Amino acid sequence: MTTIHMPLLSMQHIDKFFFGKPANNDISLEVRAGEIHALLGENGAGKSTLMNILFGIYSLDGGTIYLKGKEVKFFSPREAIKSGIGMVHQHFMLVPTLTVSENITLGIKSTGHPLPDRKKINDNIRQLSHKYGLDVDPCALVSKLSVGEEQRVEIIKLLYRDVELLILDEPTAVLTPQEIERFFSVLKRLKEEGHSIILITHRIPEAMAISDRVTVLRNGTRIATVNTTETNKEELSRLMIGRNLKPIVRGARAKATEKDNPRLDVKELDYLEYGQGKLQKVSFSLYPGEILGIAGVDGNGQKELAECILGLRKATQGTISLNGVRIEKSSVAERKKLGLAYVSDDQHHDGLVMDMNLVENYLLRVHTYKDYIKNGLIDYQACSRVTEEAISAYNIKAPGINAPVRLLSGGNQQKLILARELTGNPSVIVALKPTRGLDIGAVEFVQKQLIERRNEGCSVLLISVDLEEILMLSDRIGVMNRGRVIEILDNNEGIDLAHIGLMMTGHTFEEKS
Amino acid sequence: MKYLNNILSITIIILIIVLVTIGLISAIGSDVTKAITGFFWGIFGSFYGLSEVLVRATPLILAGLGVAIGFRTGFFNIGAEGQIYMGAIAATVIGLEFPNLPPFILIPLVILGGFLLGGFWAVIPGFLKARFGLSEIINTIMFNYIAINIVGILVRTSLKDPNYPLPMSPELPENMYLQQLLYPTRLHIGFIIALVASLLIYVLMWKMVAGFKMRAVGLNPRGSKCSGISVYKNILLASLISGGLAGVAGVSEIAGLHYRLLEGISPGFGYIAIIVALLGRNHPVGVVFAAIGIAALQVGSITMQVQSGVPTSISWIIMGLLVLLILARRTVSSVNSDQKEEATL
Repeated sequence: MTTIHMPLLSMQHIDKFFFGKPANNDISLEVRAGEIHALLGENGAGKSTLMNILFGIYSLDGGTIYLKGKEVKFFSPREAIKSGIGMVHQHFMLVPTLTVSENITLGIKSTGHPLPDRKKINDNIRQLSHKYGLDVDPCALVSKLSVGEEQRVEIIKLLYRDVELLILDEPTAVLTPQEIERFFSVLKRLKEEGHSIILITHRIPEAMAISDRVTVLRNGTRIATVNTTETNKEELSRLMIGRNLKPIVRGARAKATEKDNPRLDVKELDYLEYGQGKLQKVSFSLYPGEILGIAGVDGNGQKELAECILGLRKATQGTISLNGVRIEKSSVAERKKLGLAYVSDDQHHDGLVMDMNLVENYLLRVHTYKDYIKNGLIDYQACSRVTEEAISAYNIKAPGINAPVRLLSGGNQQKLILARELTGNPSVIVALKPTRGLDIGAVEFVQKQLIERRNEGCSVLLISVDLEEILMLSDRIGVMNRGRVIEILDNNEGIDLAHIGLMMTGHTFEEKS
Repeated sequence: MKYLNNILSITIIILIIVLVTIGLISAIGSDVTKAITGFFWGIFGSFYGLSEVLVRATPLILAGLGVAIGFRTGFFNIGAEGQIYMGAIAATVIGLEFPNLPPFILIPLVILGGFLLGGFWAVIPGFLKARFGLSEIINTIMFNYIAINIVGILVRTSLKDPNYPLPMSPELPENMYLQQLLYPTRLHIGFIIALVASLLIYVLMWKMVAGFKMRAVGLNPRGSKCSGISVYKNILLASLISGGLAGVAGVSEIAGLHYRLLEGISPGFGYIAIIVALLGRNHPVGVVFAAIGIAALQVGSITMQVQSGVPTSISWIIMGLLVLLILARRTVSSVNSDQKEEATL
């Protein structure tokens, strides 16, 4: 090695097999001291597996790990932390009933043990948060924190343990655009203070924006390691998915249909939860053959809106009409029969039954259709046939139609949900953050499907926190803030982004109050 | 690889069971060979022994099926014991009220009555769970006490046989007796009813939409809701069927064996049914085999007690140990398969 920096961490020829299937195949990775190293790849490329090996969660089947030139082997996260390696998992590991400060000191003997000097600890935490710009109140209960704050707690937790190398697993997946900005400045601050960071991500713009070097993984092997300044988005996308990404072209709407009757008509919808107005006087109409995008920062009533339309929650006041029929009092099943389809970001809870196989998951929608019932019994042959068709039409990668859907990747699960929800040609699709957490290929697929359906005359209500997605797909754009849909604009070349940004923060332009 | 693991773990379980059994028997100071021969002779040594296994298995199959359906739908019915007694009460009352109905009307009527009253006894906790989110585990256990003590009151008051000083009901009319299958053994048509029930439950749960919905609700209530399947209705339905089957078990005991209502007609069948469901993996076929297996364990241990003086309590210890080991085995294998999940496609 002729590099000037001696690598802080060097993983050489790492192999890991799960039941004979390679998850990591001869992967080598070097991280220099004081760099932000992006580990880029689609879901299932082996990023998390590699990091879990480093962090001592998995044992390795081959290869060696050197830390500061010395060979190391961790058998538990505890040992890894002791050596200065810490990891923030995609799903946070905090105890909601404890305070921030208690969470941070959990598992370590603090000053004054066994009666910790909370005041001093809190001061230390405040110093740390001040130093790195990680604002959080040490005395607050974790259950009261926003996702962004929880993430800050996780990072402070590592810093409190003097961790040198931080592994962050998809850290921005849960953050709003504003929080991402802030999070990046924290990363820069950490780097200035001499920390090294491994950033696991599947978002190319993110890797471009913040990292010094990028290692790209695909199908469990290392494709390349490049300096961020010497590459571009196109090259990274080629390395990551093996081909170029084609931008999605929305195309003009089929015909001017504003004069048509609205497919979905929401009027003055209120929804109260524990006395809090989650939705306030939400009104909009969705016309045939259009995509209406609802933008907004996460947690401003998007989920409540989608679930009131689907019928999981009953609106407190206001009306919802679907194809001219009032549905605000109908059950979910009745609404679906009237032509409603629902796709959300939560495949595990909303979309699928993980322990059932593909056919049975397909049945979740078609069990109400006569075609799939014969003599009072489920016609499994017909169900299998339609599932097989969906698999080939949507290019779903599955070990077979009788495999439990838990074995499918997130992208393939979402494709299955989409295929299922679109059977029977629904007239209205409610899509709540439909591409969140998916790999690029699946995101592209889902977006194309929505456009295709809209071109066929279907109406799509697309609720997303990804503004780029909204701008790319929507014919009209509404913005949600604190339970209100503020304004609905036509999406054309001249759309004013600053205006939308302001609306997302709650600014109304005709101050009525 | 997986097969090898299975065989290995089952062998280990059997080995542990055998060792503990031998240990316990020798600790008591009995002759191990004699005790074990006694055990197997009790089951296989005579036609009567074999038939007795099936007699014991009958209520276990029925109640076990009920518990299994509850488990599949996410309704943890610990109350089969109470539901058995409610079924027995219904059978007794109907039998005493309509002693002159012909058997082909009275027997279905008695079974239906037992099903409904047993079902009703489970629907109350089912409703409390579905509507208010109250724990059905606690409520079904409490309902056991209520049901058992209702029987205690009834056999001393309104249903008491005036001709006997003991707390029990008068003998029931012959028209409601379940036909003996192999005289002189005690095997009765209740066993056939139990087998038919398993078949019907299999068809319901795996071939019909109603069963599909129940299983979906059990595996993912929220996902079911999103797909338009009512969690509320399906929990009510599952609790009705669950308690109903246990109720039929009570009917079968009354109309097939005892011919009158008395306290203690169920020596914990309702609790053993939970073990049966667990061992049978909540599947009708598994439930039938698990029920027969556990019945054999009990029948064998009775002969063992007679022949070598080893108390039957030992069979309960073995049963407890068996459940523990089988649960441990599943946990161990599910820890292994956690890693498999990482290798998603």
